[in-house]
Amino acid sequence: MKEKIADNTIIVGCGRLGAELAGALSDAGRSVLILDKEEVAFRKLPLSFGGLAVAGDGGDLDVLRQAGIEQADTLIAVTNDDNVNILIAQTARELFHIPHIIARLYDPERECVYRELGIATICPTQLSAREIDKLLSLPREAIA
Amino acid sequence: MKKRVLLVGGRRKARSLALSLLKRGYQVTAVNSDRDDCRKLAELEKLNVICGDGTKPFVLEDAGAEGQDIAIALTPKDADNLVICELCKKRFHIRRTVALVSDPQKTAFFRKMGIDRVVCAISAITGIIEQQAFLEQMENVIPVGEGRVNVLEVAVPVNSPAAGKTLVELDLPREVIVGCVLRDDAVMIPWGDTAIWANDLLVLIVASGKESEAISALVGKGACGL
Repeated sequence: MKEKIADNTIIVGCGRLGAELAGALSDAGRSVLILDKEEVAFRKLPLSFGGLAVAGDGGDLDVLRQAGIEQADTLIAVTNDDNVNILIAQTARELFHIPHIIARLYDPERECVYRELGIATICPTQLSAREIDKLLSLPREAIA
Repeated sequence: MKKRVLLVGGRRKARSLALSLLKRGYQVTAVNSDRDDCRKLAELEKLNVICGDGTKPFVLEDAGAEGQDIAIALTPKDADNLVICELCKKRFHIRRTVALVSDPQKTAFFRKMGIDRVVCAISAITGIIEQQAFLEQMENVIPVGEGRVNVLEVAVPVNSPAAGKTLVELDLPREVIVGCVLRDDAVMIPWGDTAIWANDLLVLIVASGKESEAISALVGKGACGL
C-alpha cells in the first residue's frame, strides 16, 4: 500500500535548498507551492518542477493567505535569514495551525526560541559536523 | 537599584530613547550591528554600547541581557525584533519585553508570542496624523491601552451647544467619559449634574473612534471636518 502523503506543501525561500526540495517533492507527487521575494530565484527550479511558484514576501500574512496557507499540511521555511524562518514558522504554527513545520537555521543557538513550539529544525552546521565526524571515524582506506 | 534597560537596534530611535532614559536615571545598554551607529551612540555619556547582531544569543550575553529589567527591540525588521524579544524572554529571563513592529497585521501575533508590549509605528503615526489633520478641537491626545482608548483635552467654545448644560443633559456617546473639568484655576471631577460652561477645558476619556462624536456634542456639529 502506498504511504499517504500530505498533499499541500508550501516552501518559503527559493534558494538552492528550497529549489531542490521543491523539485524533489513535486517529483514525489506532492502538490508544492514555492514562495520567494525575488522572481529571478525561480530560475533555480528544476525543469521537471510541476508546482506553483509565487513571488511575494513569505513574512507577509496576506501573501501567505493568498498562497493558501490555510489549506496547507506542511510548511518549510528555508529563506537565507534565520529570523525570517523563525517568524514564518511561528506564524504557521500559531496563526494557521499547520501540522508539519520545518525550518532551516544556520545558527543552532537560537533553537531555544521555538523548541517548545513543536517546530522541527534543520541546522546545516550540525549536519555537516556530524557527517565529517562520521567520515573521520571510518578507517582511512574507506574514505578514499 | 537602578532599573536596567537594554535597547537593541535602531539608529535615531535608540539614540533619543537612550538619551531620555539616561536622563531619568536608568542604566542603559545599547546593542547595534552597525559600527557607525555604535560610534554615534557611544558619544552619549554613561551609555554602554555593544557592537554586534542582537538577534544572536552570544551578543545579548555580552550585553549583560541576563540582568536587565526591560528589553526594547527597535530594528527595522519585524522578524529580528521578534527573535530578539523571544531570546530576551526565554533565554535571558527579562521580565518585560517591548518590540517595534512595522507591519500592523503582526501586532496581535507578537503579543501572542509573549512579547509584553508591541508598538506599531505605522498605526501610531497614522493615528496621530489623522487626529492632527481632522480634529483641530483636540488640544492634546494621549493614546492608552495600545491606542484603543484616548485621553484628550477639548475646549468648550462660547457658541457651544453644550454650554450651560449638565453632563446628563448632554448627548454624549456611552464610550465617552468627561474625567475632569478645568475652569479658571479650579480642577473639578464632574458628576452627572455638573454643568459645562463656555471656556471650560474638558479632559475626556474616549474609546478610539468615538472622538468626533464626542467633539461634535461638546463643540458643535460639523466642527471636526470628518
